[in-house]
Amino acid sequence: MILFIGFFNTVWDALGRFYHRLGSPREFYKISNVVTPIFGILFLSLSLVGAYYGLFVAPADYQQGDSFRILYVHVPVAWMSLFVYVTMAVAAAIGLIWRIKMAFVVTICSAPIGAAFTALALLTGSIWGKPIWGTWWVWDARLTSELILFFLYLGIMATYYAFEERKTAEKAAALVSVVGVVIVPIIHYSVEWWSSLHQGVTVFAKGGPKMPASMLFPLAMMALGFMFYYGYALFLSMRHTVLKNEQSSRWVKELAQNAEQATHS
Amino acid sequence: MSTLSLYFLREWKLMFRNTSSLIQPLVFFVIIALLFPFSLPAESALLQKIGGGVIWVSAVLATLLSLESMFYTDYIDGSLEQALIHPRSVTLAMLGKVLAQWTGTGLILSCFSPLLCLTFNIPSSQIWVLFASLILGTPSLTLIGAIGAALTVTLRRGGVLIAIIILPLYIPILIFGAGTLTQAAQGLPIAGQLYALAAILALALTLAPFAIAGALRVTIE
Repeated sequence: MILFIGFFNTVWDALGRFYHRLGSPREFYKISNVVTPIFGILFLSLSLVGAYYGLFVAPADYQQGDSFRILYVHVPVAWMSLFVYVTMAVAAAIGLIWRIKMAFVVTICSAPIGAAFTALALLTGSIWGKPIWGTWWVWDARLTSELILFFLYLGIMATYYAFEERKTAEKAAALVSVVGVVIVPIIHYSVEWWSSLHQGVTVFAKGGPKMPASMLFPLAMMALGFMFYYGYALFLSMRHTVLKNEQSSRWVKELAQNAEQATHS
Repeated sequence: MSTLSLYFLREWKLMFRNTSSLIQPLVFFVIIALLFPFSLPAESALLQKIGGGVIWVSAVLATLLSLESMFYTDYIDGSLEQALIHPRSVTLAMLGKVLAQWTGTGLILSCFSPLLCLTFNIPSSQIWVLFASLILGTPSLTLIGAIGAALTVTLRRGGVLIAIIILPLYIPILIFGAGTLTQAAQGLPIAGQLYALAAILALALTLAPFAIAGALRVTIE
């Protein structure tokens, strides 16, 4: 029992230290040196496996033939468009409540990535919709709410760039993302609340996914791969933002000097 | 006197001393709505069909226009800063201010909407439907819009930014609001749409004042 508590305490302390290290820009930069390439490798390998199985191994759909295969991009990016928004809003709330510098960096750096995912979801959706529904766009609840999500991302970015003082800009953008989070459940439930052209819930349906395993496996791989892509892109963008924010601090100057010496020698 | 009523009455006094702030949004509302018949084929069947949506969009734009100056004069003369450092609740003070702002814009627009309905040939049985949807919807517009106004009060050109931040959040209200009239025109029940508007209003009434106070604390330091 004592051994267990001792073990628990050690793990808890280690987690606490790791958390505090992540909260400091300098320590984040060090940790991200290691983590970023790992995310990149995981993204590449998972999405390559997913793409191979999705394009060559999974059987063609009995109704839609091969055109359904765009699902392996469309569904993961649509999920990510919501996932990034929730992550961004949670980080914003953490930043506003506990005043953590790095949380705002997560929010600011997530917005363009989320906007890109949303734009991709809209684009792949209409490319898929043209042959299947016979139209590029319908004003249905799911499509319209996804479009609103795109505008929300743009609004958060616009708020951040409108203020000259960085700290005010970070807080203002964080506030907008927290306010906008009310739209997320509307998007999530839109296919259940309003029946329309867009198909209903397939994967996270009651009683398990309504999809054979051979189609589900590549989708899961792609979804995980895109998740790691988000981590990879976020960390790259955060590293850039941290260096820019802390450019007058000693550790960044030392870093720059070392890099300069390395190129000259 | 409670903080809420104190601020409500203060805003009322200010509004009636400067009546142009009451008339301008109303005139803007009417002009925007009447631009549509000019720019569309003037068939009464078509106007009747789109009238509800047009009036709703005009109400959204008129609300948006009135928001830009909402905190600005208080910010310039320093009374906004005083409100923030005073020990009384900022949240309640801002709620009073927003409610007064709504009586000056949304309420007047809603009361004026039946007249506009006549120009769009909307049948008299549906006029009260539009009025009810506006009465339930416009307070949410002002409450949510005030968050954007509070965020942009220190910016010199905040108007466009308010629109970019706030208009996406207005879309659900617009869908339900204009939806009531489309439903009524088809003889379908409208209770669901009105309940949705009421739910949004309840949510906005309870959460928006905190966001407004938070936004003011962020921007004014």
